[in-house]
Amino acid sequence: MMKLYLVEHAIGSFGFDENGKLIDYVLNPKDIGRVVELLLQHENGEPFPSALELINKVKPEEIVIENEAEIQKLQVKATVKPHHEGAKIFRQSLAKFALESKFASTEDELYTYLYQLAFEYTRRKLRSAAQKRDLLAIQAVRAMDDIDKSINLFSERLREWYSLHFPELDKLLEDHETYAKIVSTFGYRDSITLEGLKSINIDEHTAKRIVDAASKSIGADISEDDINSIQQLSNTILSLFTIRNNLSDYIESVMKEVAPNVTSLVGSNLGARLLSLAGSLEELSKMPASTIQVLGAEKALFRALRSGSRPPKHGIIFQFPAIHSAPRWQRGKIARALAAKLAIAARVDNYSGRYIGDQLAEQLNKRIEEIKTKYEQPPPRKPAQSEKLGERRSRPEKRKSKERYKSKKNNRNEKRRR
Amino acid sequence: MSESIRTIKETNMENVFECEYIDGTVRLCTKNFAPGYSVYGERLIKYNGTEYREWNAFRSKLAGAIMKGLKENPVKKNTKVLYLGAASGTTPSHISDIVEKDGKVYGVEFSARVVRELILVAQRRPNLFPILADARFPQSYMPLVEDADVLYVDIAQPDQTDIAIYNARTFLKSDGYLLLAIKARSIDVTKDPSEIFKAEAQKLEKSDFDVKQVINLDPYDKDHAMVLARFKG
Repeated sequence: MMKLYLVEHAIGSFGFDENGKLIDYVLNPKDIGRVVELLLQHENGEPFPSALELINKVKPEEIVIENEAEIQKLQVKATVKPHHEGAKIFRQSLAKFALESKFASTEDELYTYLYQLAFEYTRRKLRSAAQKRDLLAIQAVRAMDDIDKSINLFSERLREWYSLHFPELDKLLEDHETYAKIVSTFGYRDSITLEGLKSINIDEHTAKRIVDAASKSIGADISEDDINSIQQLSNTILSLFTIRNNLSDYIESVMKEVAPNVTSLVGSNLGARLLSLAGSLEELSKMPASTIQVLGAEKALFRALRSGSRPPKHGIIFQFPAIHSAPRWQRGKIARALAAKLAIAARVDNYSGRYIGDQLAEQLNKRIEEIKTKYEQPPPRKPAQSEKLGERRSRPEKRKSKERYKSKKNNRNEKRRR
Repeated sequence: MSESIRTIKETNMENVFECEYIDGTVRLCTKNFAPGYSVYGERLIKYNGTEYREWNAFRSKLAGAIMKGLKENPVKKNTKVLYLGAASGTTPSHISDIVEKDGKVYGVEFSARVVRELILVAQRRPNLFPILADARFPQSYMPLVEDADVLYVDIAQPDQTDIAIYNARTFLKSDGYLLLAIKARSIDVTKDPSEIFKAEAQKLEKSDFDVKQVINLDPYDKDHAMVLARFKG
C-alpha cells in the first residue's frame, strides 16, 4: 500500500512518501506563458499535467493533495491535507529541490524565473479584471448619453409648459439646469426674488433681468395644481443632472483604471466613447490608427468609399479640443497624429497595463505644435482641384449605383402594385 | 538635502535605521534597495555613499509598531516573507529593503486597482514578487510561493485572523513569526477596539500561536493594533 504526498509547484510536481522522502518528480515546461495558463487552470481545480504524469509513473494507491478542488479530476483515491509532510519539506527548501531536479542551475536563475512568472501571472489576471470593467465604463457612458437625451427632451417640454405662465424666462436662460432649478425653487413667477436667485448662483445682471421680466410678464395665471405638476417635471430634470454628474465621476475613475493611457491622452469621457464605439478595450486595441481616426464617422466613411469622394478626417475624436479648435486645414493632420497615439495607448492598456500616458501626451503635443507652426497658413486654393475630384469619382460606377437604386425602387413599386 | 542630516545609525533591529536630522527630529529609514526611486513620495537620504528611504510611521503599520516599541522585528536580512494585503506596496517596499537580495517578499493583493501600483514598485525590486490573488484561497498562489519565515497580514476583513491562521498553517515554517495588523473597525464597529484586540489574540493562542506582543498603533493608526506571535505548529 503506497501513499503519495503530491506537491504542485510552478516548477513541477513532486511526490513524497509519508516520511517526507522524495519518491519522484516531473518538471513543468520552463515556458512562462504556458505555465501561467496552467496556473490559472489550476485555480479552477485542474491538476498540472506534470502531476498526472507523475501519478501515472508512480502508480500510488492513494494520494494526498493540497487543493480540494482537484479531487474529482484525479483517477486515484485522494485525500486533502494542506501543508502535508511532503509540502512542508518541499516548500521549506524550494531552492534545493529546484537545483537537484535540474530545473535551474543556480538559485539566482530560479528566483529570476519565479519573479518573471509572478509578474506575468499578475499581469494576466489584471488584464482580465480590467477587461471586464471596460464593459462597465462603456455602459456608463452610454447611460450618460441616454440621460443627456432625456434631459434635453424633458427640458424642452418644461420650457414649453412653464412658458404658459412665464414666457420671458425661456429666452433669458440658456442653461437647462438653471432653468429647472428656478422652476423647482420658486414655482410661481411672483415668488422669484433677487436674493433667492443669487442664492442659487445666478449672476446679478441676469437675476435683475429675470425679476424685472417676472413683474411685467405677459404669461397666464395658473393654479397651484398646475405649478405642482410642472415642478414634478423640473425636479425630475434636476435629479437627472445629479445622476449625470455621478456617472461622470464614475466613468472617470473606471477609465483611469481600465485604460489609463487612453484616458491621459483624451480624457475619460472621450476615452469611454471610443471604447463604446469599438465595443471593448480589446477591440479598440486591435484597430489600426486609421480606423480609430474615423470611429463614429462610419456613415461618412462608407459614403466616401462607395462614391469615391473624400473620406472623413475625424470621427468622435473631433471632440478632442485640439482638433475642433484648430483651423480646418490642420484638423486632418492633428486627427491623424492623435489617432496614431491612441492606437499605441489602447494596445499598451490592453496588453501590458504599463503607464506611458505622459510620454504619449508629450509627443502628441509636440507634433501638434509642429503642425501648427508648419501649416500656419491655409493651403492655396487649387482651381484644378474640382476637376480632379470629378475625375476621381468614377462616373460609370456612380451611374451604376444610381441605376441600382432606381431598379430597387422599381422593384419595390412593382411589388406594391402587385 | 543631506546637509540637514546629522547621523544615520542602525537600530537594535537588523537593517532598520534611525536618521537624526539637524533639528533633532528622528525618523526611521531603510537602505534603498532600488536607489533613486521613491515609492510613495518619501524622502530619499544620501549618507556616506548609501541611499536611505525615510520610513513614514503614519503610512506603514510596521514602522508604527517599531516606533511604539516592538520588542523584536522578525523581518531581517535574508528572511522570506509572505505578505498578505500588499496593497500599493508601501510597507512591502521597506520589507524588501530590509531582507535584501537573498530574502524574498511574496506580496499577495486582491484588488486589481492597487496591484497596478504594486507592480510598478516590484518592477524595481527583484526580491518582491507581486501576486494578484485572494488571500482566502491559498491554493491559488500555492504554486508560486515557498514556506515563509514571517507571515505578514494586513487585510481589512472581518475574518482576517482566521485567514491569517489558515495561511500560517499552509505556509509558515514552525517557529516562524506572524505579524498581524488588526483593524478593529473592520472586524466590528460596535465593540471597543481593545476588546477586539484581546479576542483576536486569544484566537491566535488557541491556534498554536504564542502571542508575544500586542501593540496599539495609536497615534499612527487609530483603532489598529499590531500583533507579534510565534507559530508553534
